[in-house]
Formats: sequence, structure tokens, C-alpha cells
Amino acid sequence: MNRLKGQVWVFGDDVDTDQILPGYAMAEEFSGLARYAMAGSKQADFAARVQAGDIIVAGRNFGCGSSREQAPVALQAAGVSLIIAESFARIFRRNAINIGLPVLVAELRRHVQTGDLVEADLVQGIVRTADREIAAQALSANVLATIAAGGLINRVRQELGISNN
Amino acid sequence: MNFIEQYLARAAGLETVAAGQDIRCRVDLVAAHDVTGPMAIQQFEQIGVDQVFDPGKVVMVIDHIFPAATVQAKAMHWIMKDFAGQYGITLYDKGEGVIHQVLAERHRLPPGSILVGADSHTCTAGGYGVVAIPVGSTELAAAMATGTIDLEVPEVIEVYMTGQPQAYVGGKDIVLSLIKEFGVAGLTDKAVVFTGPGITALGLDDRLTICNMGIEMGAMIACFGGEATAAPAVAKTVKLALETIDIVAACPHSPANVRPVSQLAEVAVTQVVVGSCTNGRLSDMEQVVNVLKHRPVHPAVTMLVIPASKNVLAAMEAAGWCRILRDAGAVVTNPGCGPCFGAHQGLGTDRDVILSTTNRNFPGRMGHRSAQVYLASAATAAVTAVRGRITRPGSLVLEGGVGYEQA
Repeated sequence: MNRLKGQVWVFGDDVDTDQILPGYAMAEEFSGLARYAMAGSKQADFAARVQAGDIIVAGRNFGCGSSREQAPVALQAAGVSLIIAESFARIFRRNAINIGLPVLVAELRRHVQTGDLVEADLVQGIVRTADREIAAQALSANVLATIAAGGLINRVRQELGISNN
Repeated sequence: MNFIEQYLARAAGLETVAAGQDIRCRVDLVAAHDVTGPMAIQQFEQIGVDQVFDPGKVVMVIDHIFPAATVQAKAMHWIMKDFAGQYGITLYDKGEGVIHQVLAERHRLPPGSILVGADSHTCTAGGYGVVAIPVGSTELAAAMATGTIDLEVPEVIEVYMTGQPQAYVGGKDIVLSLIKEFGVAGLTDKAVVFTGPGITALGLDDRLTICNMGIEMGAMIACFGGEATAAPAVAKTVKLALETIDIVAACPHSPANVRPVSQLAEVAVTQVVVGSCTNGRLSDMEQVVNVLKHRPVHPAVTMLVIPASKNVLAAMEAAGWCRILRDAGAVVTNPGCGPCFGAHQGLGTDRDVILSTTNRNFPGRMGHRSAQVYLASAATAAVTAVRGRITRPGSLVLEGGVGYEQA
């Protein structure tokens, strides 16, 4: 869980939640969200082509806009294992962590192209491409604990003393 | 401590807090709508508690897709109705209006209270001094169960306002100008507070509009100070002389792509939208009526007017405004979000150029990815609707040369 390896999909700056999951998809059943992942972006065929374990690499301010948690849920359901961006909008970043989808802040975009293979170590905060290592902002103990628990709901259950059985 | 830190410290039960500190705050109100509520309910049910922390402090509003545009949307409404019935929370399910307006009218918290809302424009409540934290569905579910929220004390950026805005310059022009200055991510993870003697020139509606779009700069909190003085102990103060604010619009496809309306006079529009949690209040409607009672909507323009709440609509009806708007060729719809987030009631194609008083013009936000959406005030929207081109308010005159828009 702390080391993730996958092929990257490269996106630009300010990829907003309407691009990640358009408003018209909000009326869908939660189980069907995956097929709308990135449907509003310039890579509208993303959902049809993404493979389990793939990694999104983006520029600044990824996930700006709406609070809709369906956006990271759709990415996760489509198979995305990690998002690495130069920065994240706050609500999206928290939503992703809260559902157990890891995010890393790193200046990776200019060093990779869609289809490249990268490996990320969440605990060490390092991303490795074919020919270099790039430092990422370390995740806090709190964030790592939430991701390790599989999301915020499990953490709340732990804190409230509700067993997982 | 600045006043945001004072509010957060009180909510956390601490003597002091400092920027960067992780704290746990008790919340005074938790709110969600029909896009975020159903998923929050699903997450809440996974926690395994048998009640919400306080049924009197949980509110849900069906506003985004009402009346239901699809069978699935109606199924979401049923999830909310069932939940409200089972847990005894308040649900507005008959088209009472947009969540932020309903909260302002019916659940107005005192300044310094903590509101947690599953909508990015929850920050609107900063217009009346509330610390309003926008969250997603899972965080909302946790708050419903525990009555608390974990957050990091933000750095506070102060916008210190002086002077008075010129005629026809409203909250929308002020906040768009700030978004141009700060950029769409300039305040990410920060709080922005509005202070200074200039805030006395801004009524509640303008304050709500300004805070509403705080998220368009990435801000975690947007909030007006309780008095017209400077805030102590902020990370940075930006001075804003209100008389220097021009009448502006955000051009496609970013709320930060802001230009003076006077430079957009060649842009012909096919649709004008007035409404939303940003600019769907009575003062917005008045500015539209003041124009449309004299001149009809341009033949090439579809004009949609969407009151932010049933109260706004009722006042419009009592004043005879709905009739005036309809006679002028506008469509007055039911209160709610309308086309703002792209699910129904007035979407655009790649042939459409839309001027809207809403808060976002991201690609595809209001329909087709290539629909051109401009954001501006209701005053600008009104004159644009009758001219068919983006027009500066205050520029319409009668044949005799007498201006008839109300200054």
C-alpha cells in the first residue's frame, strides 16, 4: 500500500471537478460513476482506457471547484491508484484521502509523458521515473493513518469504538 | 490571535491556536444537498451509529436537481427523504431554494459559529460572519456522527477595504476583481477575511456574493469581520480601495480570466442567466426588473431568471416583478440551482455564448465543453439581455437621452 507502481496519465493545470466528473453524472448511481471519470476533460476517453493501478499526474490546483466527492470516487473506481500533482485544491485533496485514495504533491509533470511507468513511495515521499528520483511532500502521520485505515469512515469507527465485525 | 483563530479556538475548547495547528472543532450546523447528501448518508450508515449527533443541527436541502430531471435524481431525493424521516433531521424537499440561501434565511447562525457544509460554496455564510467550512460527503458523514470536524488552522489573509464602490459596482465586481488578483489557487488552504471601513458600504447581499466566491480563489474560509477595523495578527493584509473597482466579467473558461465589461462590448450572447447562490437574491432581481420594465429581452437571447429561494420568489411576485420579467420575454423558473452546475434547466451547446451571474465558468460547467460562459453581476446581466451584447450597466438611455437605470 505504501509503494505504488503504475502507468501515468498526464493532465495540465486547474483540472476542475466538472472535468473530472461532469454535473450530469451526479444523478447516476454511485456504482456507475467509473465510466464518467474524466469525461469532461480533454482526455474524454480516459474511463474506457484507464487500467487498474494507473496513476494521474497533473499540474497545479488539481480538483479545484465543487465539493462533489463523486469526483475522486469515480477516479478510484476507474482504477486510479494515486494522484501526483504540483498542488491540490483543499476539498478535493481531503475527499481523496477520506476515501483512501492517496495523493502526493510533487513536481513530476514535466518529467513524464502519458504511458510512462513511475513508482511512488508514500512513506518516504519519493517518486521514481525511468531515469530520476523526485522528492514529494511527505504525507502527515494523520493522512497516512487515514489511508492505511482505508479512509475516514474506518477511522471514525475506530475512534467511536465500533468494531469492524 | 486574529478573529478566525479566536473563533476556531473557542470551537476547539482551547485557549489559543496558531496557524498550522491540527485541531478538532465542535460544529454548530451540518448541511448537505442532493448531490452530496445521498453519498454522505451512505457513508454515515457505514459508520454504524444509530443517531446523528444532534438532529436539530443537521439540515439537508434538495436544490441541485429539483424537480428531478432523471429517474436516478429522484432516487437520490428518496434516499434523503428516508434518512430525514428515520433520523429526525430537517429536510427542505419542495424546492425551497439553494442551500446557502435557505441557511441564510432560515438557519442564520451568529458570527463565529462553525458551519460544515457539503458544498464548495458553503463559504457564503461568511457573509454574515460564520466560519463556514466546505467539505465532501465523507467528512460530512463524520461530522453528522460526531458533531466535530478536524481541521488545520489556516493562515489568514486580510482584505482591508476602504472607500465606496461606484454606481453599478456590486459584490460580484469586487470578488471577481479579487479572484483576478489572487488567482484561482492563490488562497488555497488559507482563510480570507474582509475588514476595514469600506465594508460598511456593502450590504448583506454583496457580502454573501463576495464570500460565496472565496472558493474560486481556493480559500478554505471566507469571512467578514464583525467590525470595520483591521484584524490583528494576520499573515498578510491586502488593501482594497472600493472606488477603484471597475465593472468586470470573468471570460471563458476561468473565474480568474477577468476583464472590464467595457472591453467586451463586441461579444454577442445567446443566453443570459440570473440566479444561483451567488446572485439570485432580491437586490439582484431588482436590478434586472429596473431594466426589463423599460425594454424587452433581445430577440436572439434566452433569458432565465432563477430566484435563490422561495422567499425571494414570493417577494418578486408580491412586487409584480415576475409579470414584468415574463412580459419582457424572460423565463422565471422555480427556486434552485438551475443550470449552474450543468444538470438541467438551461444548458448551452458549442454555439452558445452565455452571460451568467453564477460562480463558475469551467469548461462544460453549463453544458457543452465549448459553450462560452461569462460571469458578471445581475446589473450587467440585465443590460446585456436587452442589448444582446455584453454591456456596461448605466449605459442604457431613453430616446430623449435620459438614463433610466436606477443608480
